[in-house]
Amino acid sequence: MKCPICKKEVALGDPDFPFCSERCRLIDLGNWASGKYVIPGATQPPPDPDEEP
Amino acid sequence: MSTQSNMPNEVNSGSAPVYDSTSIKVLEGLEAVRLRPAMYIGSTGELGLHHLVYEVVDNSVDEALAGFATEVSVTIHDDNSVTVIDNGRGIPVDIHEEEGVSAAQVVMTKLHAGGKFDSRSYKVSGGLHGVGVSCVNALSERLELEIWRDGFTWQQEYACGQPKAPLVKAGRVKAGKTGTRVTFKPDVSIMETTVFNYDTLATRLRQLAFLNKGLKITLTDERVDPIKNTEFLYSGGIAEFIRHLNRGKQVLHEKPIYFEAERELPNGGALGMEVALQYNDAYSENILSFANNINTVDGGTHLKGFYSALTRTINTFGQQQGLFKEQENLTGDDVREGLTAVISVKVPQPQFEGQTKGKLNSDIAGPVTQFVNEKLGEYFDKNATVGRKIVGKAIEAARAREAARKARDLTRRKGALESGGMPHKLADCQERDPERCELFLVEGESAGGTAKQGRDRRFQAILPLKGKILNVEKARYDKMLGHEEIRYMITALGTGIGKDDFDVTKLRYGKIIIMTDADVDGAHIRTLLLTFFFRHMHELILRERVFIAQPPLYRIKKGKSEKYIKDEKEFTKEIMRRATESLRLEIQGDSVNGSGPKPALEGTELRAFLLNLDEYEQMFHKVERRLRDARVVEVLANVDLRLDHKFEFQEEANLKPVFEALTQLGLKPEMRRDEEHSSYAVVFHDQTNAERSIGLALAAQPEYRRFRSLSRIVARFNHPPFVVVKADRRESQPDWSALLEHVKNEGKKDATVQRYKGLGEMNAEQLAETTMNPEKRTLLQVRLEDAVESEEIFSTLMGEDVESRRKFIEENALDVKNLDV
Repeated sequence: MKCPICKKEVALGDPDFPFCSERCRLIDLGNWASGKYVIPGATQPPPDPDEEP
Repeated sequence: MSTQSNMPNEVNSGSAPVYDSTSIKVLEGLEAVRLRPAMYIGSTGELGLHHLVYEVVDNSVDEALAGFATEVSVTIHDDNSVTVIDNGRGIPVDIHEEEGVSAAQVVMTKLHAGGKFDSRSYKVSGGLHGVGVSCVNALSERLELEIWRDGFTWQQEYACGQPKAPLVKAGRVKAGKTGTRVTFKPDVSIMETTVFNYDTLATRLRQLAFLNKGLKITLTDERVDPIKNTEFLYSGGIAEFIRHLNRGKQVLHEKPIYFEAERELPNGGALGMEVALQYNDAYSENILSFANNINTVDGGTHLKGFYSALTRTINTFGQQQGLFKEQENLTGDDVREGLTAVISVKVPQPQFEGQTKGKLNSDIAGPVTQFVNEKLGEYFDKNATVGRKIVGKAIEAARAREAARKARDLTRRKGALESGGMPHKLADCQERDPERCELFLVEGESAGGTAKQGRDRRFQAILPLKGKILNVEKARYDKMLGHEEIRYMITALGTGIGKDDFDVTKLRYGKIIIMTDADVDGAHIRTLLLTFFFRHMHELILRERVFIAQPPLYRIKKGKSEKYIKDEKEFTKEIMRRATESLRLEIQGDSVNGSGPKPALEGTELRAFLLNLDEYEQMFHKVERRLRDARVVEVLANVDLRLDHKFEFQEEANLKPVFEALTQLGLKPEMRRDEEHSSYAVVFHDQTNAERSIGLALAAQPEYRRFRSLSRIVARFNHPPFVVVKADRRESQPDWSALLEHVKNEGKKDATVQRYKGLGEMNAEQLAETTMNPEKRTLLQVRLEDAVESEEIFSTLMGEDVESRRKFIEENALDVKNLDV
């Protein structure tokens, strides 16, 4: 499969799998940490009781 | 010695200042060297041993730097003695005034003696970092010196630093030959190791050859058969050095950037500066700095000057070109990522810092900065494409650094939580043996609350996670996991995160159970979590610690019995099962002959027909979504059509019946030839006047193929009107759609059916009963391939192509199956 960040090929068993390198792993973690990963919804939001005012 | 060669001296000119015994100043005696060798050459091991050769070679290279030598040869002999020969001027042989012996003998026997302490003889000198060839002499059991100078050969021999006899004139040499030969054998009673390493010497000699372009250095090893010999001669100098360092790497620009200059220094003398650089696609930097050929491993003023100019020039160029989109400012680290560079300066009277002379202290940062600013600026003006590539790479580095900083924040702040314990949102369990503990990651605060009530607090912990909602103004329901949510999760799991910190043995729970709503949004959150685990807590998946809870989608209650059902498919099955317990379907049409009581479908056979019909209905609607006209889909349901496979669209005749049927419907279809695929398509316009096509593209859709095959399966009994018999009651249904609806209603009769839109709709008891209680629940174990699939879905969802992403989501919105793990 491909490194999620730089798209280089990586193989299962590589030291940084599923990343190609420690750097790409860090970048990805940073993306999670800064809320870069958003799954766009297609639907209108239902009334959400969890939503804080 | 047999290795003596005849090197013509081509560079010497008559105008050079006098280099004779008056040039040699005595700074200190040679006493302590044999007593404390490590103080002078670093060690008596391998490092020190090779250092002896460098000391001698440095003297020869100084002659080259001064413009008097063009060749240096180094030979390792069979007994691990070494000969160094140059074609420089030859060490002065006249009698030294202060010492009363030959100048050569002063050089060989007095510490810190030599021409380099006199700036008239050597403008710049590299050998200074050692303590002179006298050290080598002191540490050699035998040393032979031969000098060719003024038409004569001079010779002298030493043992352990002591001359065996004064320097003597041994013969004549042919006119013009000058130079020096030193052969020495390290003292085995002092040196711990006395075997030279060819590669170690080759590396340093190659470096010297790069740094002194045009200087030919040869290395010969007589210990092996055949004799090994390497010649180092680089007319490209340090630009070639860069190519050598970058060999096998993917470079950003083909030609190394190179420039050189010489500047007068305010306090006299000239400063020679050479810089070569080239970027590669790696992330590390490889920057070597040299002052007078000495590798200044700790940098110094020359490197500082280079760094500041590099950062400034690249930033200036990036701004000029408008390459910074955000408020970007590239730091030194950013512009050095992937950089291979060599900075070499030649300074008169260099000042070094530290025992190993690893850092240059001479006040030259200013001139170096100015020189690099000017030359690199000029280069970028002429080579804007290369400049833009370099800025682009540095911007990428800056962004990576920013992301990495955020990642570190994520883990660093963990420290504050470690002592105080767990996030306040976590409802932890009482059990302390991780193997017996379970952590439920629950979507939503309200479901989290229910789960907290419904759990068995002895061993079940609950962490509610909120999928953040973004873009509310666009009425889109975007899902992400916030910084806090991720941090809570990492803290609760206890494993830490990151290459060095993640420790699976610290996992606080034997099972991590993801519990989300049974809808698309729930599937998205699940995908997010699984992707995160897959990428950053891989080990949890490999050790099969991650599970998916299976909350029910329906509850059917009839009388005292109740049943929970996990998905639509099972629900339909259950409804059909209930309905067909008491129903029969009378078969009409040609397939049944004769009179008498009409044959009827019942039991298993009826159930199979109805289930097929139900799937047929689903496929019918999927095809309808593409063609936007139910009447057209009805036409395509005709079992007599020969339009099941792609090749059948190559025959116009096969499409004719469709064309005619659509004409009858008043759709004014068009028979269109698809030249590219040698096929035909019937094209019509839907109610919004958009063009719809019945052709190859449709034939390629799985739902179309399934629709066609189901048409054939249901055709056998699909003969409306349908007569449904229940006890004595007979009811007629006009078509299959009405039949399905009728049967479903029958199946639900007298029962209460509840469809759960989310976990929050269940009360605590129900949630415990159906989803959490280990006695009754079913869990899906996440295997590596599931996580890989999640990763792929995630990658599509995160893809850069917004349109295809949107399409993917729309197409899968009604098909949660694809997102299921």
